[in-house]
Amino acid sequence: MLTTPKIDLMKELIAGSSREELIWLSGYLAGVVSQGTSTVSAATVAAPSAAVPETAATPLKITIAYGTETGNAKRLATDFAAKAKKKGIQAKLVGLEQYRLGDLSREEYLLTVISTQGDGEPPAAAKKFYDHIHQGGLKLDRLKYSVLALGDTSYPLFCKAGEDVDQQLQKVGAQRLSPLQKCDTDYEAEAGKWFELVLQRLNTAAAPAAAAAVTAKSIPPATPTRPAGKKTYTGTILANTNLNDRGSGKQTHHIEIAAEYVDYQPGDSLGIIPANPPALVEAIIALSGTDANQLIPHRSEEWPLAHLLHRKLNIVYLPERVVKKYAAIVQQEIPETKIGLLDLLKIYPVKDARQFHAVLAILEPIAPRLYSISSSPEAHPGELHLTVARDCFTVNGETKYGLCSDGLSQLEPGHTIEFYIHHNTQFRLPAPDTDIIMIGPGTGIAPFRSFLSERDSRGAQGKNWLFFGDRHFTTDFLYQTEIQDWVQTGVLTRVNTAFSRDQKEKVYVQHKMHRHASELFAWLRSGAHVYVCGAKQPMSVDVENTLLSIIRQEGNKNAAQAEAFLDELKESGRYVKDVY
Amino acid sequence: MIESKNLSDTERIKQASDGLRGTLAETLLDELTGAIGEDDKSLVKFHGMYQQDDRDRREERAAKKLERLWSFMIRLRIPGGLLTPEQYIALHHIAGENSTGTIKITTRQTIQLHGLLKNRVKPTIQAFNAAGLDSISACGDVNRNVTCAAHPMQSAIHEQVHGYAARISRMLLPKTKAYYEIWLDQEKLTDKKEEEDPLYQDRYLPRKFKIGIGIPPNNEVDVLTNDLGLIAIIDNDKLEGFNVAIGGGLGATHGNPDTYPRLATVIGFVPADDDLLFRTIYEIVTIQRDYGNRSDRKLSRLKYTLDRLGVDWYKQELARRTGFGLEEPRPYFFDERKDLYGWQQNHQGLWYYTPFIENGRVLDDEKLALKTALFEIAQTGKANFRFTTNQGLILADIRKKDKSLINGILEKFGILAHTETASAIRKNSIACVALPTCPLALAESQRYLPTLIGHIEGLLAGHHLLNEEIIIRMTGCPNGCGRPYAAEIGFVGTAPGRYNLYLGGDHEGTRLNRLYKENLDEAAILRELDLLFWLYKKERITGERFGDFALRQRWYKA
Ligand code: SRM
Ligand SMILES: Cc1cc2nc3c(=O)[nH]c(=O)nc-3n(C[C@H](O)[C@H](O)[C@H](O)COP(=O)(O)OP(=O)(O)OC[C@H]3O[C@@H](n4cnc5c(N)ncnc54)[C@H](O)[C@@H]3O)c2cc1C
Ligand SMILES: Cc1cc2nc3c(=O)[nH]c(=O)nc-3n(C[C@H](O)[C@H](O)[C@H](O)COP(=O)(O)O)c2cc1C
Ligand code: SF4
Repeated sequence: MLTTPKIDLMKELIAGSSREELIWLSGYLAGVVSQGTSTVSAATVAAPSAAVPETAATPLKITIAYGTETGNAKRLATDFAAKAKKKGIQAKLVGLEQYRLGDLSREEYLLTVISTQGDGEPPAAAKKFYDHIHQGGLKLDRLKYSVLALGDTSYPLFCKAGEDVDQQLQKVGAQRLSPLQKCDTDYEAEAGKWFELVLQRLNTAAAPAAAAAVTAKSIPPATPTRPAGKKTYTGTILANTNLNDRGSGKQTHHIEIAAEYVDYQPGDSLGIIPANPPALVEAIIALSGTDANQLIPHRSEEWPLAHLLHRKLNIVYLPERVVKKYAAIVQQEIPETKIGLLDLLKIYPVKDARQFHAVLAILEPIAPRLYSISSSPEAHPGELHLTVARDCFTVNGETKYGLCSDGLSQLEPGHTIEFYIHHNTQFRLPAPDTDIIMIGPGTGIAPFRSFLSERDSRGAQGKNWLFFGDRHFTTDFLYQTEIQDWVQTGVLTRVNTAFSRDQKEKVYVQHKMHRHASELFAWLRSGAHVYVCGAKQPMSVDVENTLLSIIRQEGNKNAAQAEAFLDELKESGRYVKDVY
Repeated sequence: MIESKNLSDTERIKQASDGLRGTLAETLLDELTGAIGEDDKSLVKFHGMYQQDDRDRREERAAKKLERLWSFMIRLRIPGGLLTPEQYIALHHIAGENSTGTIKITTRQTIQLHGLLKNRVKPTIQAFNAAGLDSISACGDVNRNVTCAAHPMQSAIHEQVHGYAARISRMLLPKTKAYYEIWLDQEKLTDKKEEEDPLYQDRYLPRKFKIGIGIPPNNEVDVLTNDLGLIAIIDNDKLEGFNVAIGGGLGATHGNPDTYPRLATVIGFVPADDDLLFRTIYEIVTIQRDYGNRSDRKLSRLKYTLDRLGVDWYKQELARRTGFGLEEPRPYFFDERKDLYGWQQNHQGLWYYTPFIENGRVLDDEKLALKTALFEIAQTGKANFRFTTNQGLILADIRKKDKSLINGILEKFGILAHTETASAIRKNSIACVALPTCPLALAESQRYLPTLIGHIEGLLAGHHLLNEEIIIRMTGCPNGCGRPYAAEIGFVGTAPGRYNLYLGGDHEGTRLNRLYKENLDEAAILRELDLLFWLYKKERITGERFGDFALRQRWYKA
């Protein structure tokens, strides 16, 4: 009965809508039908023609803004901009970090492609924009927008940042050109369709007359897309050595994995979804009043309870939001803190199996853990190397270990692991003859071992300067002999180390950067790229502040100029971070 | 003068070193390694240090992609081996803060600390300097620590003789100020004339040079194992002068017949006249400087120069340089070579206590808190610390009224019992450092001899010989640091767990032993000794020393 484009429209609408939205829509449509006229609704549902300023003659101006951490959103946005230009649309492409927030109120059409990072947070580069639209008192009723959210369903808060932006823009009076489109890691198809729909809506909005023609051509036959999911690999452990010497307070494991035909580049990370400890699973089942083999529905599949708790659900350390839901189920007062499921069940028991099943329904998936790959495809064919710090912490006096890093540290040669590759197209080696400065204390060394191996085996001519740091020289100098060899063979032009606890006053990488400020600035001047990897807090912050003060001091600039200088580096991809 | 073509690499390094500075100042700052520059390794010895690594840890560290566990051993220059209590307290603290903590008393009457990381070297030297101690020329191709008989209780004029050790040491110090610049951050010299060095020039000596002073009748300094040995000639409590003995040295190399241990040859007597004595010493050194072999370091010690050119030539050349001839040697005799354990009193009524310190290793272990005990004694300020060339220590010059205080502490820490109960052979034994720090070690020594002695005690007990003061010495290689060739029973390491067995040295240290059997493992060693002890017990002439008996029995390889 409906024409293909209409069917597609509806499909898109449904696909992009939350349950509540759909309920609302069905109610709304029912209302429309009862009124017997469809024209009114067209105006309200789609972009109202009333709000179209341009005449078909003046070319349409749109802004495509992206918020990215590892480059996916940027790549998509860039493709879209190119496509739009082909269609004679004036598309301005901009990274959200550079987006002048003042322009927002003057903006007419804004397309946002944004990924989600951390635990449901926007990418660092999009933080300013994200906060800006969330602050009170903003009114954007001229704006028409659409959001493409990139995410990964294996994280608890799927596409949260995109969702927030979409809803917030609506709250401040902007109108959706087309519904929010959430994408999993295999985003190509859906993203493409989202953009087609957006183009179509733009045309209807801008030049209703032309609309039909354009859309007829531009919309591809509807092929329902079934998400293929991430490409996962199975690797076999070749070696697992603790790089820290006896007497060190740390354990950093160098893990070598054999895996043929894995497609990765220096700068990429390896993703793992850790399994929960069997002992913990048993303990929980014991308190659940449920049989270990009972099939439990989970994300349109069914799993035996034991498997679900072992491989799928985060039970180790639940975030507040889950604890809150738990409290509602068991109807008890529970302080809002992170806590493990077992402890919850012990302190605030479930009444019966039914309540327990309700609890299962609110548990979140086990979030993937990422590890920078420290090998190079060129230098270590058929292998991937990781540099894993066994995360150790104490909970009221008791020593505990991080779920994934602990598991990895226990792996022995012959064991196998499942993983996927998380590509990071932002964190890439520059042209072979470009100089690079690498700042990577602790496990931050990992991607730089990859960089250096790669440049070594490719005979890249660019100069390489490494800043490394850890606690003690004798026990914690990760990859010391390899670094010495690279210095011997001239691959490393300079190395500076900072061992914080070898003397009374603490010394960190940023202190060493300061000590060599003038050379460092000279490198920047002559086009060197700067890479930072390792702890987000406090390392990457201190390092950035140090860079700024070096730029101020050596380039005699004031604070603002220094900021500008560093932004310039960021924009041109010459200052990149991979911090966690 | 021998034309020294194809000089050894060390010669190049010395001459290019700008007064032993080399690139030490720079490589000390290298952040990537705990080691110093290749050439600097040779130079740092002249400053009293050796770069070493923990050989036990090599494989494991390599697997961790960590370099060898480099560290430095520092050896102090303590002529005659005398420290004040204040200096000992400083030493105790420095060892605790910067090194492994163990204080190692050496066979040349000084101390070594091991395991100093590169960045702890300067603080260590500065702390020593504050205590009036230094490590200049404790190693390297220069005159080493001058040793002297350590037992004041044995001779009324000990103090007078002992004084020479420090004065000789001072006379033979290099003139370079490098030590003060590099380690003590003193002003760089602008006028290099100040450090012109007529004695060492820029070549220094072809090899290490050792001087020892003996006071008969106790030869515990092993005076004849030195390049230059001075034997005090005393006539009813008056120092007449010294017999001069040259060409001692024990180093040898397995499978190199051109190398051999040698005892010094007495070439004459020089009266106790400072001018004559010091001129003699000085010129003996200059002759070695000019004629010593500088191309093959294995053959450059004075003993080889002497055997090459002859004793008569050496005496003439010496007379030519000093302007006078040595007198005929005076008669002297040694009848023992040991530390006098327990309490002793000297002619002035001062008291001396010699505790038993196995292999000169001062540390606290589960059995004995020796290090703490000595520290407590130092803190009383009532005893001087005199090291002996048997890796021993004498708590010296204790006043009558303070004796009970010191004795109380020795009592409290069980040192008295420890010393009394240790067997005669244990108290007379020496083992060199060897593993894990010594890079030249082929076998264990100080970590193993104590166990072996235990087994030997068993054998001796079986033959009722446990009270015999047989001198047993072990080294981990043929270099002879524990003077094993001057022992009645000598063990010289050839490979892990294997030793050459030497027999027939005399008790007084005037006759070297000879190789008896090669490459014995523990079982073989004990089998051999069991048999030898049995024969000794059965066939010895009364009072005959084991060493003399062994020789009489021709227990050596033809
Ligand atoms: C600490 C000490 C042994 C001990 O347990 O007490 C010692 C320890 C070492 N000796 Fe020695 N020698 C020590 C007394 C001796 C003696 C005995 C003596 O002087 O009364 C000798 C035999 C006498 C002689 O010099 O001939 C001795 C002959 C050697 C030699 C062989 C020299 C030669 O002419 O062949 C070497 C190897 C070398 O110099 O090339 C050597 C080298 C070494 C080194 C430095 C190894 C090296 O060259 O890297 C050893 C350091 C090991 C460590 O980790 O501490 N050491 N060394 C003694 C320190 C004396 C001092 O305070 O200055
Ligand atoms: C892009 C990227 C690259 C990375 N690269 C590396 C790398 O190269 N090497 C590397 O070692 N790491 C790397 N990481 C970090 C790594 O992904 C993990 O975050 C890290 O290993 C910790 O995970 P885990 O499962 O071991 O610890 P988790 O179990 O996730 O615990 C993490 C923290 O949560 C808290 N916690 C957990 N359980 C409890 C509890 N029961 N009670 C109280 N507190 C608790 C503790 O503070 C603990 O430190 C990277 C991260 C990112 C995002
Ligand atoms: C450290 C990290 C945390 C992430 N957290 C989430 C998350 O909470 N929710 C989500 O949907 N996706 C999450 N993702 C997946 C990314 O959003 C997804 O990989 C996206 O394609 C990245 O796009 P970008 O390269 O433009 O940043 C996370 C990815 C990383 C590397
Ligand atoms: S004898 Fe050999 S093993 Fe022993 S300390 Fe001397 S050089 Fe080292």
